[in-house]
Amino acid sequence: MSELLDRPPYSARDDNAFLAEMQRLTRHHLEGCPAYARIWPKWKCAGTAEELPFLHVDLFKRLEFRTVAAGLVHERTLRSSSTSGSAASQIVLDNLSSRLQARSALAILTDMVGDRQRPLLVLDDALSLRQRGVVSARAAAAMSLRPLATGIHFLLRDANDPASLKWDLLAEVLASSEEFLVYGFSSILWLAWGAAAAPEDVRAKLRGKRIHFVHSGGWKKMEALRVDRARFDDALTRDLHPASRVVDYYGLVEQVGVVYPLCEHGVRHVPVWADVLVRDPYTLRVVEDQSGQIQSMNVLAHGAPYHSVLSEDMGRIVPGGCACGRSGKRFELLGRMPHAALRGCANV
Amino acid sequence: MCEPLSFFESASGCTALALPFLERQIVAEWGALRGAMRRTVPTGFSRDEWAYLMAFLAPENLHAPFVEAFGQPVEGGRPSRLVRPRGVVAVWLPNNVSLLGPLTLILLTLTGNRILLKAGSRSDDLTGAFLAFAREHLPACPLRSHLEQYVHLEVFAHGDERQARMIEQADVRIVFGSGSAAAAVHGAAAPLRGTGFSFIDRQSQAWIEAGADTGEVLSHLIRVFAIYGQAGCTSPRRVVLLNGTRPQAEDLRSRMLELWPQVLRFQPPVHVASANTMALQWAAALGWDAAAAIHRHAVIAVGDLSLETIDAPMFLPICPATPEEAARQLPDNIQTLGHAFLDPADPRWLRLAAATPIKRLVPIARMHHFGPLWDGQRFWRQCFEEIEVQL
Repeated sequence: MSELLDRPPYSARDDNAFLAEMQRLTRHHLEGCPAYARIWPKWKCAGTAEELPFLHVDLFKRLEFRTVAAGLVHERTLRSSSTSGSAASQIVLDNLSSRLQARSALAILTDMVGDRQRPLLVLDDALSLRQRGVVSARAAAAMSLRPLATGIHFLLRDANDPASLKWDLLAEVLASSEEFLVYGFSSILWLAWGAAAAPEDVRAKLRGKRIHFVHSGGWKKMEALRVDRARFDDALTRDLHPASRVVDYYGLVEQVGVVYPLCEHGVRHVPVWADVLVRDPYTLRVVEDQSGQIQSMNVLAHGAPYHSVLSEDMGRIVPGGCACGRSGKRFELLGRMPHAALRGCANV
Repeated sequence: MCEPLSFFESASGCTALALPFLERQIVAEWGALRGAMRRTVPTGFSRDEWAYLMAFLAPENLHAPFVEAFGQPVEGGRPSRLVRPRGVVAVWLPNNVSLLGPLTLILLTLTGNRILLKAGSRSDDLTGAFLAFAREHLPACPLRSHLEQYVHLEVFAHGDERQARMIEQADVRIVFGSGSAAAAVHGAAAPLRGTGFSFIDRQSQAWIEAGADTGEVLSHLIRVFAIYGQAGCTSPRRVVLLNGTRPQAEDLRSRMLELWPQVLRFQPPVHVASANTMALQWAAALGWDAAAAIHRHAVIAVGDLSLETIDAPMFLPICPATPEEAARQLPDNIQTLGHAFLDPADPRWLRLAAATPIKRLVPIARMHHFGPLWDGQRFWRQCFEEIEVQL
């Protein structure tokens, strides 16, 4: 178990304690996961976080990593929502990590939305929870809010159809409380709720409600829809209680349990049990003053070596303190790395 | 009645070629286009691709198919055959097709046929871009007229009604793409109508005999691999070091890594570098001894033939093996074997080739060289109709 999880997520960083836990975790994976050991055969120890081994995020789409150790029970597989026909990441979840990840996510989200319990409305269908042994990234993200929920209501009839929102159910649930949590993938939240024409009775019931909207999944689709953040937030919170908020968080399926919400001042803070580095894609050197590939680390992952992952997201470390009051490291997410289709011959 | 005639003489006799233009003139006009090509690289083409296209347009290269098919040009003679265009040649190009599209177009213009091209609907279309460039930059000349009047490029998606019209008109069907795409086109043609060629999913390898891995050979290998990586059907997906040892394979890899910045002086796009970080780790996980080229331009790995390969665009494995072992591991869809043999004239290489399904055995530097004989089919020659003549 991690002692760091006992601390408030955005308290003063203890880099030595973090490094020590990461070293222990890395050795644990090197001993228990042969594929990981083949990738980092020469690694012995790290003097700094940047010397810690990492796995490229796309590797989890190609290989199933699993660390075997006494007391670890691998329970389920977390599967990313694959886009554009690409393969899905598969993360093998275990009993110990799941507990740590739940604590981590709750602590981070509580810092953003408060710890009051209220009904949780999920822009998904209930079926996404019912696959035996496999859990989708969307369902996992929604379930990270479960400890804050008095009850969970799935609002979509069809997870892939934002137009399938059950307005009658929403109207019924809105009558039950003054305060709500709403979770959805960014684009689905927009299409199903923000841009949708709600029936008059629903609009009336929404008026004055205090709602925290929590969304994730990236802004790429929103850019395609030509919706900026101000319009997105305005559309969601219009006519609601003034304390209503929209929380956009960045997270990787391959870093389950650690999310990086956007603070009120437009940056993302790193909890004390995690770290973020930015690397030059060509040299993999850590860079402080320029943009690069985001590497995300945490001390939660025991069942497979996804404790240190090099993402394909670009970002930059933001120096200095933040006016929001959270301490520690912070960064700016710049979006997905640009890709271009490969040219080939007859086999494409 | 007014078609210009050209005459060719070969061991099998004299051939009269009736094209809507003079073959020499069209070849020269293609060659002259290179002047404009030196000044401008259209969007969509890499510099390597553009340079390759320019080299392909050399008059001696474009003249070669005529010589190979009909013999040496002569001023006149008593022909035993008259050769003329079949009529309409239709070409289906897949999404993201490489230079094969423009190269096919160039070769087909030499046949005098009307050309219908169907380009991919989801990608940058190099064929269309090159056609537009040629139409724009050629002066008023027979080649330009031919491109404007007899070459038609369409971009449409699967299921479009234009597909049926194209099939119906075609005297020759040439399909690049998957086996199912080729089957759909040829299967929809009327029985007995025209002739069809399918250039479907293929892959290639480079075989280097230990001791033949000179700096020049390795520079060629880097160039032919880097242009399309594993996505190109004529790119080497594997290098076999024939009769080599593991240390020799490691040495070959080291020399390639040293040569890389001299051969390719540019930085790849950032996503290529990232994909290669992933490929490096993937390869290591499967047991390959992998290393990245400068700027993470590629991943070159050493390992046994038995190791599982990885599906990463810029991954190039080097495996030491005997020729017999190398031949046994060739995939069924092998196309080109690029070679660097100590003695290419040694008949054992031909015997080895005869016993394998390979379609081309060419020096490594010529692996991407497209020609009138492709995938074992003389498709260019078949774009002509041959008339027996006894005068």
